[in-house]
Amino acid sequence: MRLMSKFSVLVKQLYKQKIRTLTFRLMTLLYLGLICAFIFWPEIKGLLFSDDAEIVSVVNETDFDVAPFLQGNDQFDWQVVDADSAKKNVEEGEYYANVTLTDDQGKLSANITSLDPLPLNDQQSISGLISQMGQMYAMAQMDLTAEQQAVLLSAEPIISMHTLNEQASDGKSTEEKQAGIFVSYAIGFVIYIFVATYLSMITTEVASEKGSRALEMLLVSVKPETHFRSKLIGVFLVAITQFAIIFGALFLLLRFTYGGEKWTLVTDLLESMSIGYFLYVIGFLFGTILMYLILGALFGSLVSKVEEAGQVMMPALMMTLIGFYVMISGMGNPDTLLIKVFSYIPFTSGMVMPMRIGATDISSIEPIISFVLLVGTTLLLYVISLTFYKRSVLTYSSGGLIQKIKTVFKVTT
Amino acid sequence: MTLQLEKVTKRYRDFTAVQNLNFTISKGEIFGLIGQNGAGKTTTFRMILDLQDTTEGIIMWDGKPIKKINRDILGYLPEERGIFPQMKVEEQLFFFGELRGMEKETLKKEIDFWIMRFDLQEKRHDKAETLSKGNQQKVQLIASFLHRPKFLILDEPFSGLDPVNMELLKNAILFLKEQGMTILFSSHQMDNVEELCDHLCLLKRGESLFSGSLLDLKKQYGKTKLTVHSDMADTDLEKLSGVKHVGRDRDGHAVLTLEDESYARALFEHFSNGQYIEKFSLDYLSLHEIFKEKVGATHV
Repeated sequence: MRLMSKFSVLVKQLYKQKIRTLTFRLMTLLYLGLICAFIFWPEIKGLLFSDDAEIVSVVNETDFDVAPFLQGNDQFDWQVVDADSAKKNVEEGEYYANVTLTDDQGKLSANITSLDPLPLNDQQSISGLISQMGQMYAMAQMDLTAEQQAVLLSAEPIISMHTLNEQASDGKSTEEKQAGIFVSYAIGFVIYIFVATYLSMITTEVASEKGSRALEMLLVSVKPETHFRSKLIGVFLVAITQFAIIFGALFLLLRFTYGGEKWTLVTDLLESMSIGYFLYVIGFLFGTILMYLILGALFGSLVSKVEEAGQVMMPALMMTLIGFYVMISGMGNPDTLLIKVFSYIPFTSGMVMPMRIGATDISSIEPIISFVLLVGTTLLLYVISLTFYKRSVLTYSSGGLIQKIKTVFKVTT
Repeated sequence: MTLQLEKVTKRYRDFTAVQNLNFTISKGEIFGLIGQNGAGKTTTFRMILDLQDTTEGIIMWDGKPIKKINRDILGYLPEERGIFPQMKVEEQLFFFGELRGMEKETLKKEIDFWIMRFDLQEKRHDKAETLSKGNQQKVQLIASFLHRPKFLILDEPFSGLDPVNMELLKNAILFLKEQGMTILFSSHQMDNVEELCDHLCLLKRGESLFSGSLLDLKKQYGKTKLTVHSDMADTDLEKLSGVKHVGRDRDGHAVLTLEDESYARALFEHFSNGQYIEKFSLDYLSLHEIFKEKVGATHV
């Protein structure tokens, strides 16, 4: 009972102190600002940049009717003009670009002219529209009937997937995999940001108490293991608070702005994912954060002053960075050997395995193995760190991480 | 109710920090642990506080192993500053009090009492890092005994304090003693130890050179310090029978260190020669002098 009471006092003090810090408030505001910018981007864009679409002129030297295509594209203000007017206006900067359409042996040929080189996105948009016109132009040259044209236009094949292995499922559709990649990327990013932030917080917290010798005062009253646990839980609660604020705000903004239109898009995206996927994601998210917090507290206990905290937590930060980049590499192809290997390593699985679960057809046993490895490693690290923490927390030494560990063993055995 | 150390030893592989240490502290007593830097004082404190394990020996409080007692009966002031730099003074004291299981009402009264006593009223809402070294020391001190522990350990409590604050602290220590608190402290300032301690233990490289009452320690050397008014040259004084060493105090009196107390009577006869003499004083050596003699240090 007394132990719980001391534990609660320590957790409460740490929680209150961290929530009140300027860093926590600024970081939370920054995340909220980024979310608002993401959601209200059309309005922000409208405020910052002109809404008027750029004028792109079209000089049509064929007898093909391009008007329906131009009307269907509102990215630019399309204007059909004569060649002289187009050249003059492009040179004077009145027109953003000009497209001259000619016939080249039965094929549509387009020459794009602009005063300055076009940005890639605009280049792709104009080229895409011209490609569509080119296909229709080619069909028009074949003298096809309206029915024949309709058949050609709707000739997209119907694709369904089946696997012969009875133990395996039929696999995810391309849309499901794309949704999985998108959601997994977001989750991997969240894990990376939270781990990096809170690993740093707990390491600095323990290092600062140790460096200021406040720890000696505390350890007269509480056992090192109680102190260790209070740091883990206190920082974990701060992480959950920030998580709740950010995702609570995100939910409210999505749900109640634009008449809930964006929330519908999100639910459509999430509906393509299974409940099991989200359970795994939550498990990996909190498991990974907890594991890194344990490491952070241990590293913090090794240093003699807070200035050395950055040095000792570098290996752990490197691991998170590796996991993050491996996860990024999976955006292009989530089935590589690299992704598979790192999805089992507990220090990176939190970022990599959700992508494999969401975007590949893995058997149900693989995420279980990875998760069990994560939980097992976390428990093992907890036990080891707790034992080591008792020894290291009042041992002061200089040198690198290995030297500090050696010193702890030297003076405590 | 006593603290008892029996054959306590602490070894780090090939280095022995404390060797076969024995002493007992009675209830309500002020006990001094003195020694040079690295003599093993802090290691001894940490073993008593169960922050470090003993290699050999046993430490008991009131007949029970120290590991099994309620830790809230202990109070500790570390040698170095041990407070939260970013926390305000009052908030800091509330935190340490709450941690010791104190109720809010009692805690508030105690904080008010000690803040007043240590003249920190104007600083109670300031962050600890903005305080002077001396004021930080006072805050840390209050935090160490705010919960009125039965046994208080003060590691260099006078460090960083000016004479006025030193006096405040001495009075506070004596006040706590009156309340029945048992106090163990270390200090390099021997006059403070001499003034406050009932008993002491003298450490040298982890070994106890002496453990007992201050008077017993002084008696070991006897009254061998003779201060006398004399116009004789130092070289002539050195030739006198039983004189080991000659020095001078600030008033110009000769300070003779005698081989033995028994030479004093003959020397009195010699200096007075049946006449009035302005000063002739035979005293015990000061703790400072005994410390230098025992530990063999050039400074303390």
